[in-house]
Amino acid sequence: MPEEVEKNKTLTRPLPPIRWWMFSLLFLGVLTAFTVSLALGSVDIPLNNVFRILTGQIADKGTWADIILIFRLPKTITAILVGAALSVSGLQMQTLFRNPLADPFILGVNSGASLGVALVILGFGTTGSLLLAGLGLFGDLSLAVAASLGAGAVLLLVLLIGRRVRSPITLLILGLMFGYATSAIVSLLIYFSLPERIQTYTTWSFGSFGGVTWSQLWVMVPVILIGLGISYFLPKSLNALLLGEEYARTMGLNIKSTRFWIILGASILAGTVTAFCGPIGFIGVAVPHLCRSLFNTSDHKVLLPAVTMMGAIVALLADVIAQLPGTQYILPINVVTSLFGAPFIVWVIIRQRRMKSTFAD
Amino acid sequence: MKKTLTILLSITMTLGILLSACQTTTAIEEPEIVVDASNVQSGCVADYEVAVDYFPNKAEVEYAQGFRIEYYSNYKVLTVLQPWSGAEEPFSYVLVQCGTPAPENTDGALVVEVPIQSIVTMSTTYFPHLESFGKMDTLVGVDDTTYAYNETVQALASEEKIAIVGGGAGGGAVNVEALLDLAPDVIMTSASGIPDYDSHPKLIEAGLPVVINADYLENTPLGRAEWGKFIAAFYNLEAEAETLFTEVASRYQALTALTGSVSEKPSVFTNTDFQGSWYVPGGQSYAALLLKDAGASYFWADDSGTGSIPLSFEEVFDTAKEADFWLNVGFASDLSGLLAMDERYTEFKAFQTGDVFNYNKRANMNGGMDYFESGVANPDLILADLIAIFHPELLPEHEFVYYQQIQ
Repeated sequence: MPEEVEKNKTLTRPLPPIRWWMFSLLFLGVLTAFTVSLALGSVDIPLNNVFRILTGQIADKGTWADIILIFRLPKTITAILVGAALSVSGLQMQTLFRNPLADPFILGVNSGASLGVALVILGFGTTGSLLLAGLGLFGDLSLAVAASLGAGAVLLLVLLIGRRVRSPITLLILGLMFGYATSAIVSLLIYFSLPERIQTYTTWSFGSFGGVTWSQLWVMVPVILIGLGISYFLPKSLNALLLGEEYARTMGLNIKSTRFWIILGASILAGTVTAFCGPIGFIGVAVPHLCRSLFNTSDHKVLLPAVTMMGAIVALLADVIAQLPGTQYILPINVVTSLFGAPFIVWVIIRQRRMKSTFAD
Repeated sequence: MKKTLTILLSITMTLGILLSACQTTTAIEEPEIVVDASNVQSGCVADYEVAVDYFPNKAEVEYAQGFRIEYYSNYKVLTVLQPWSGAEEPFSYVLVQCGTPAPENTDGALVVEVPIQSIVTMSTTYFPHLESFGKMDTLVGVDDTTYAYNETVQALASEEKIAIVGGGAGGGAVNVEALLDLAPDVIMTSASGIPDYDSHPKLIEAGLPVVINADYLENTPLGRAEWGKFIAAFYNLEAEAETLFTEVASRYQALTALTGSVSEKPSVFTNTDFQGSWYVPGGQSYAALLLKDAGASYFWADDSGTGSIPLSFEEVFDTAKEADFWLNVGFASDLSGLLAMDERYTEFKAFQTGDVFNYNKRANMNGGMDYFESGVANPDLILADLIAIFHPELLPEHEFVYYQQIQ
């Protein structure tokens, strides 16, 4: 009981001025990371040229403008969207399931997406992807379309079943089962596929921001904004859920509809990211924890904007490291986030005990 | 009664004729004939004599780095120097002339009686060699036919005359039971050195005669083609293999000489991006050497690697935006398919001028490309295609075999 009182205190405490400082710092961080991400890459482009290109002036070398405008800019925007989307989605899932290990993909959304992509790459080969491209509507979205269809199908199933089951634990187990079933089919496809195609699929599963083009961004940006929009309407409900479903109900919260909107928002975010960039791990779990520690709160009114910006920063920095500036090589995003991010997060979390007060039952 | 007798008699006579015919064919087993003619190409030696050299035709390895053949009077030792990349120990095989005694100390190496009568293959690159040796009839099993281009193999498989045993690159786990039942003389496979992916540890454990063929590790086109001699050794067909390979090599050299004097070397880049990673062949790789011999200027020719280099899209873009040619675009069969992968491809000059070529002219319905199959045995044909792309004036009459310009 005393713990619950403690939580209540946390939630009702007004924003201290230091928060505003931290938010300003975060925003500055996003701007800095954005600039660094644009300026650094395997091709060396001097900073003054980067600014000249961005302001529409002529650069010293012709290809530089193309590199900044059609490679780095979409990639940087993608990184911001991905970081924000996964962090917000992860935060919501952790609260919904009151589970610190929950991530954006806990309901099986990315298993569905992986299945869609595996079917295109491993199953039909070219015929399949050309088939999708041949439908005309999708243009170069074939992989993204396949992934979206897979993610959407799982989301629909979860929402349908979610209306019938009462306990979030049941949902959790269902998500796990979807995951097992879809990954079994993916394994089967891998088992009977050519090494080159398996490599292509593996590359996809490493995650990447670099494959997103401007025409894909025209789809990705609005969808992510819709997902974020839904989530930004929910901080009150999320705060109530933290105290347990029973408690939230007595506070007048419609659990069923809240759950529906949380799942819908979080899954749209996670599914879209996976569709365009592959399954990107770590950010969705780690950034919410990082922000809870840094801001020392469980209040979603603070956490939602905090994880949005922090997620963007983490994703941008991960991409900068992945490009191994100055070398010709690049690393997979998932490698960078986990390898460089995990030790840092461990350090932050060990120093703080916010986890206990958020998730203790 | 009389009729029955006549039938019996005629049967006996026919049998007699047949038997004597058999005897005449087995006359090849007489040692003196062996010495005069060539290696024994079927059956066994009847009267073994210590002093006889049973392998008058010997293979000499010129280009391939991965194997070696040593000849003794009645057996030969095949050594695969590097069975897989980074392998620490070579694999040796003792090929003993059938009808002669095996050497006593083989140091645990697999002993195979040659010429072999049956083979199971776990890579499509062995088909062209078997075909040119006229030994497709010894093929009793393959790993998988999904990506096999060879028509004989496809026909044999659809008539269920060959077994599908798995275990190759795309065939799932190897079916040891089926192989034990099939009892082939040799199972030829490639190996990666990763126990979970390789079939040979399981097969060795089951006591099956598995031979590792490491043709794919050769970095030179002729070195890779020369592995035909490795396969030929199992059939005692060294003379045939030498002739075939010498022809391929001299044609290849002649073509290389043709481009030796070209003054303008068009620039070329290969492969495609996938999600921001663009793998380009290292400067000393098979693909890069073919481009060099074809008189093209490959951007990463100075790189010392034999594998592939993972680059970022922007790096390749910066280097190759103005390149004259773009080759080996994977599974894409037309420009719109390429565009469907990434709209930024339109920014390349080669895309705009339509100078995009792919090696999928000969592909089966599942996308299995003959370039990776018969192309391995015929690098001269690949080189001719490439020269016709970069320097059409040098080969005006050329008809493309593996490559096509994609529209």
